[in-house]
Amino acid sequence: MTAKRLRVIALLAISMVFLLAWAFPIIWSVLNSLKTDSDVLAYPPKLVFAPTWEAYRDVLFGSGSILPNLLSSVIISVGTTIVTMLMAVPAAYALARLRFRGKKFAGFYVLATQMLPPVGIIIPYFLVLRNIGWIDTYQGIILIYLSFSLPFAIWLLVSYFEDIPFEMEEAAYLDGASRLKTLWRIIIPQVRGGIAVTVVFVFLNAWNEFLFAVVLSGNTVRPVTVAMFNFVSVEQTLWAKLAAVSVLAMLPVVVLGVVAQKHIVKGLTVGAVKGGGRR
Amino acid sequence: MATTAVTSADIASEAPRSDFGRILAQREHRFAAALLAPAFLALLATTTFPLLFLVYTSAFRMDLAMPFTNGFVGFENYQVLLSDERFWTSLLVSLVYTGSTVALQVIIGLALALLVMDMKRGQGWFRVIAILPVVLSPAVVGMIWRTFMLAPEFGIVDFLAINAGLGSKNWLGDPTLAMVSVIAIHTWQWTPFAFMVLLASLASLPEDIYEAARLDRASAWQRFRRITLPLLRPAIVMVIIMRTMVALTAFAAIFTVTAGGPGTATEILNLYAYRKSFTELSIGYGSALAVALLIVTIIISGILFAMRRAK
Repeated sequence: MTAKRLRVIALLAISMVFLLAWAFPIIWSVLNSLKTDSDVLAYPPKLVFAPTWEAYRDVLFGSGSILPNLLSSVIISVGTTIVTMLMAVPAAYALARLRFRGKKFAGFYVLATQMLPPVGIIIPYFLVLRNIGWIDTYQGIILIYLSFSLPFAIWLLVSYFEDIPFEMEEAAYLDGASRLKTLWRIIIPQVRGGIAVTVVFVFLNAWNEFLFAVVLSGNTVRPVTVAMFNFVSVEQTLWAKLAAVSVLAMLPVVVLGVVAQKHIVKGLTVGAVKGGGRR
Repeated sequence: MATTAVTSADIASEAPRSDFGRILAQREHRFAAALLAPAFLALLATTTFPLLFLVYTSAFRMDLAMPFTNGFVGFENYQVLLSDERFWTSLLVSLVYTGSTVALQVIIGLALALLVMDMKRGQGWFRVIAILPVVLSPAVVGMIWRTFMLAPEFGIVDFLAINAGLGSKNWLGDPTLAMVSVIAIHTWQWTPFAFMVLLASLASLPEDIYEAARLDRASAWQRFRRITLPLLRPAIVMVIIMRTMVALTAFAAIFTVTAGGPGTATEILNLYAYRKSFTELSIGYGSALAVALLIVTIIISGILFAMRRAK
């Protein structure tokens, strides 16, 4: 009996350690964002301190505010999401429900596009966008984000379209509705949930992307993941402010992640080849 | 969307009224083409075209810093690459980074999934907290670890190391420790992924097999080896494939933490291709490196997919 109890306690301790290990860096960033720089740098590290909003006030409303960068992130993520969904919903429906020649190949192609390493996409695209003057523009960055958001969204949506019973479409055709009307009036409302989940993940991946953003950003378009670097330079690190910016960058994705909690495994394993963004 | 509407209207007016089934099939065909066209054009433009252009660029000397030396060089970049020590080092770093992070994720993830599966209470905590790391941007994760976790003395990891009697370490300045650090960071962020996927497939395993095994007095280890592991194999292989592809092209969490340094200690092939192209501005040679990375990716995924098919 005691051996069993010991085992239970040991397992409980192990699970506590892992929970703490995963949560701690995030909690610690939140705590540090509420400190002054000297409290961040204190040794031993301070768990108890006088909290202050100063870092947030500075990064949001001080000189070198990151508000434009947050706005940049929002424009890029929302833009990518809209364009991706407009293209992915019809494509996914066709792949899931229609019969046509080359369907297998089309599905394979969508999967295979994800094999290409992002660095192999950005090198040629940098040259092309430089030539047409699209570096540091929203259209340039949103266009290239399609390279990872589209395959992901198509495959995730296919899995939802496949769940709808065929009878619904047949009934609509027999009533004389056109294919497009059927898709819009009958099918789309059926997959609203799946579309919502896909929107969450596409937004999340676009918000988190870094490699394309760091190459293509400039003074106009600079998402928060790239702007973070303003707070760490060779000369000095602005500790509390960096923590505040990190928390602001984490906030939307953490909220979305917790909201979409039940769907996260499906979202992560879609197509069973790769998750989004990467990265 | 506009094109879709036009095309389906066209089909309705044009279709001949002979063979009903054939017409239906033809209509379906055209409707499918119209629905697929925008997405496939976008994919062609953002993935296939760059791939072809990348291969083309890799046959050129293209130095943005010294444009007067630019020109067609054929396979020269690849010849240089084969005798480039930094290339082979980065390939080795890639393989070590990928192999160790994937192995750690699967082993820790599986162990935790088995542990949590047996928990009567508190599973919910794991499910929520496990989500946190995987939804974060690797760039933000890297930044947090580089500063608040790994900075000397007040960084928590260093603080723990000092208190454990190891003394303060230069986590990101020492070549070996820097490699250990970037591997640990990647493992920290993505083990929850393996954990969640494996927990989900554990939960879907049939209960009655275990009942039968218990009646046969199979030990816990035997149940694990003989029942759980074989049934879980497809899920484990899937996790390995997905994580390997991501680890091979990891970028942000290394770039923000060490930028490949110190020296080239944590420079994976992906990062080398980036640095060559955008720091040293040798686009042609950088392209050749990216092609090499693609070839490595294809070879490794070929091996992994063969593994999946094998019994």
